[in-house]
Amino acid sequence: MRYVSAVPAGIHPWRARAHAVLAIVGLVYLVGVWLEGAGSTLPGKVLPRTPLYFLQIAALFPHAATASIDYRAEGWVCREHKWREITTRPYFPLDPDDKENRFQRVMHFFRDNRPTMHALDEYLVSHHNAGGHDDGIPADDKIGGIRVLSLRLPLPNPGDALERVHRKPLAEYPDSVRKNWYHSTRALRAERCGSAERDVHDEGAE
Amino acid sequence: MNPFLRLWDWLHEPVPVLRLALIRIAAPLAILGFMAGRLAHADEWIGDQGFRVPDLGGDWRQPLYVPALPAWGAWAIASIMVASGLACALGVKTRWSGLTFAATLAFVAVADRLAAFTVSKMSPAVVIALAVGPAGSRLSWDAWWRRAHGSKLPRKLRPAVSLRFLQLLPVFIYSSSGIAKERGDWLKVPLVLWTQLHDSYQTSLSFFLAEHIPGWAWTLMQGLVLMFEMGAPLWFGWSRTRHLAFLFGVGMHLMIGLMFGPVLWFALLMMAVLIGGYAPLSWLAPIDALADRVERRKRGTVPATTEVTS
Repeated sequence: MRYVSAVPAGIHPWRARAHAVLAIVGLVYLVGVWLEGAGSTLPGKVLPRTPLYFLQIAALFPHAATASIDYRAEGWVCREHKWREITTRPYFPLDPDDKENRFQRVMHFFRDNRPTMHALDEYLVSHHNAGGHDDGIPADDKIGGIRVLSLRLPLPNPGDALERVHRKPLAEYPDSVRKNWYHSTRALRAERCGSAERDVHDEGAE
Repeated sequence: MNPFLRLWDWLHEPVPVLRLALIRIAAPLAILGFMAGRLAHADEWIGDQGFRVPDLGGDWRQPLYVPALPAWGAWAIASIMVASGLACALGVKTRWSGLTFAATLAFVAVADRLAAFTVSKMSPAVVIALAVGPAGSRLSWDAWWRRAHGSKLPRKLRPAVSLRFLQLLPVFIYSSSGIAKERGDWLKVPLVLWTQLHDSYQTSLSFFLAEHIPGWAWTLMQGLVLMFEMGAPLWFGWSRTRHLAFLFGVGMHLMIGLMFGPVLWFALLMMAVLIGGYAPLSWLAPIDALADRVERRKRGTVPATTEVTS
């Protein structure tokens, strides 16, 4: 066959065929990457999700950002019956200072997915209540639930006075930039706090 | 001549193995740099000590559900990844170390969607290409070992489909990214680049440039990037523009790496592929001479093939 003559002389025919198969697989991969990035629906129709996922490497930053988005969490402090900011960094230590942090990514991908938010709720509450981490709420203050939200911070225009991006406490942001995505139910918080449901007031979160 | 056969001949024509060897050295190091922060917390990353997204039973955001590993399993995968990645970079049992490295990379890419980014998804393909090609035949432990055991000098020119794959990869990525940008906001919003400078990726340099570069210059850069990406097949395919495209690509990734914090590793990986794939051979001559000296040290034989000329 033609391709066999294109590989070095003396190479075993089976090896030549393996070369040919690899070349075809490589070309199919490249075409798949191209189609996926260019917005074709074809790869999604013909490929299972896992190989499709490995093709999703192009199409970076196609849209303008409309705001700088930061995700935050609050814990329901049983003793105070109040929401207070809980720092998620001790429980999500990878890339703690940027949006590649796993908590930021959970919220980015799954903020409207209830099973994932329930799992996040259980994870943060159990880890805080187990103690041993400095998360902004004293370890001996049990929490009964979480509330997670995004801050949508407006972007400056060229020529505006700029400020380096840095993390400020949640309390310093106005309500207008907050959007709540999930909170533990009143019943769940009451159960975890060991108090009657009617005692749980949550400042209008529900 | 049939275009398919021309493509086939181009894929199989002899190319400088040194190009592939350079990518073999640099790409695994860039990938390990990207993984370093994750590896340091392996039990939280892919193990049962951290948060896990539950099995969502086919949700599009979860390409494959992989249960959390026990902590010892997570540390074992991390150790194998580091060992095989370094071995691949050094050219130790390159085929097997590369395939092992690629397998661990593919596993962690699906095991934790949350910490997976472009590097996670493209690195298995890059490393497989290195493993199946002659990437370990120069500037490597394998080459040294073979010479020490009486083999001839390694060939400088060999057919290497894997190098062709790695040369085409950035071109395909740029081209489809350019189309995605054109379909997105890049022709509609003049300050797309500017809008990306104000989140947690911000570095001292990006802040400095945001403060000092006027708005029109961001629009100009946006236009240049779009033109480069959409025209990548032409810029890299035409010999007269290839070197300029190479320099533009390396410069673009250098700036991305310096201006967008953790994107540095992606930038380094792309630069490794571009430099190995497209750097003018005259620039690689000193490395070629170094490799020559190392390879000739064992025995004073003549090279097995001609000098690198193309």
